[in-house]
Amino acid sequence: MLTIEGLKKSYAGNDILKGISIDVNKGDVISIIGPSGSGKTTLLRTMTTLEEADGGHITFSGIDKDFEKLTGKEVNTIRRNVGFVFQNYNLFNNKTALQNITEGLIVARKVKKSEAEKIALKALERVGLTDRKNHYPSQLSGGQQQRVGIARAIALNPEVIFFDEPTSALDPELVGEVLKVMQDLASSGTTMVVVTHQMSFARDVSNRVIFMADGHIVEQGAPKAIFEKPSEQRTKKFLTDILANV
Amino acid sequence: MENIKLIINFLGQLLPAINITLIVSVSSIILGSLLGLLLAAARLSESVVLRVLASVYVSVVRATPAIIMIFVVYYGMPMLFNDWFHTNIDGWNRMYFVIIALTVLFSAPVSEIMRSAYESIAKGQMEAGLMVGMTPFQTLYRIILPQAFVVALPNFANSVINLLKEGALTFTIGVVDMVAKAQMIVANNSGGYAWQTYCALALIYWVISLAIDKGVSQVEKSYQAKRKTIAV
Ligand SMILES: Nc1ncnc2c1ncn2[C@@H]1O[C@H](COP(=O)(O)OP(=O)(O)OP(=O)(O)O)[C@@H](O)[C@H]1O
Ligand SMILES: [Mg+2]
Repeated sequence: MLTIEGLKKSYAGNDILKGISIDVNKGDVISIIGPSGSGKTTLLRTMTTLEEADGGHITFSGIDKDFEKLTGKEVNTIRRNVGFVFQNYNLFNNKTALQNITEGLIVARKVKKSEAEKIALKALERVGLTDRKNHYPSQLSGGQQQRVGIARAIALNPEVIFFDEPTSALDPELVGEVLKVMQDLASSGTTMVVVTHQMSFARDVSNRVIFMADGHIVEQGAPKAIFEKPSEQRTKKFLTDILANV
Repeated sequence: MENIKLIINFLGQLLPAINITLIVSVSSIILGSLLGLLLAAARLSESVVLRVLASVYVSVVRATPAIIMIFVVYYGMPMLFNDWFHTNIDGWNRMYFVIIALTVLFSAPVSEIMRSAYESIAKGQMEAGLMVGMTPFQTLYRIILPQAFVVALPNFANSVINLLKEGALTFTIGVVDMVAKAQMIVANNSGGYAWQTYCALALIYWVISLAIDKGVSQVEKSYQAKRKTIAV
């Protein structure tokens, strides 16, 4: 459904992504793990056109092209068909929870207001926040804000939703409610690509784990395989270190 | 008691000249805000040339005392127009020169205020807007600017009050504003009642800036109130 080949990105001469290839199939829940600075965020941002790639090819939503050759219209097509959940939520602070969700529907998708509100309420219900629909972001806890962020993404019914460390800005006691929502999404068949430090999510919820280091994919496979018998030394070391710290 | 009567009397004489002060200030505020907006856009743009030009402009203008700016514009612009466009603008209403000088002066702090307000909001929410399919312009207009406006408001009001005070130099090139009027009154009284006259003038400036402060806090309150009433 979404295929990326040879994706490259550098900042000021530093190669951050050194040729990444990823295949996302419908219904996949892919966890991307790896040490800090390995390029996970950059990968999500370039895949979703938030950041311009320096090289690579994308096949998605009827587009089959090198990143550099994407037209403005194709960039819009990509953006329209992906959802993005940010580490620090990035809710629209001048809009209520409900409006955060209807905004994209009404302004970008041209859905009628009443229809948009219906869709938004349904999305809020899925994340358990119906009673907070008229609250502004500043009146919500971090966990609630992130759930609104997720509702905002799912309301647009994208082909795939990208999550960049959705729980790492949260107080530990709020992580659970967000993971729970993500787990529900996963089991209802939503296609997800999740950068995460939550090894429990990677192991128990996703169907594929990608381990990244230094701008490369070091190895990928079923969670069981990666967690129980990683074939690469680096993966083994990373997992030992991170699991020791939990 | 006598003094208070005098001050009230002078107030009555000064107030008719408030027109000029208000025209000069309001025009400079509007034009300066527009210029400031362009400058802020230039400073946030991708083009290095634009960014450098705008920041040099801002740093020069910020360092220029108002009186010098007024003189530079008043004496310099007619020469420039003569040399470059072969047009004689000596006969322009002198008020225009003051408005131009104050516009330039006002644009610098305003561009900084706008830029920092924008930056305090922009990046993440702009990206979120793009990711729900809105265009950069839609996101700017619907999400970023309304918030930047609230953030910028108090600083903007400060700059407006500064401008108002700098505008008190308008008389230096012979425009009859309230300050010039006060000088005339003092001269007519052969230098008598000077402090009462200027007190009356100060009082007017104080009331105007009070009104500006009040207006700003009213707007801020209405924003906060809106949030409270919706979230029950
Ligand atoms: N806008 C940028 N300009 C310059 N360098 C950047 C930029 N964004 C990221 N980098 C660099 O790219 C490298 C990879 O960053 P990235 O944020 O993708 O890592 P990450 O794997 O997401 O790390 P973390 O787990 O800490 O979030 C880092 O060395 C970072 O300093
Ligand atoms: Mg990251």
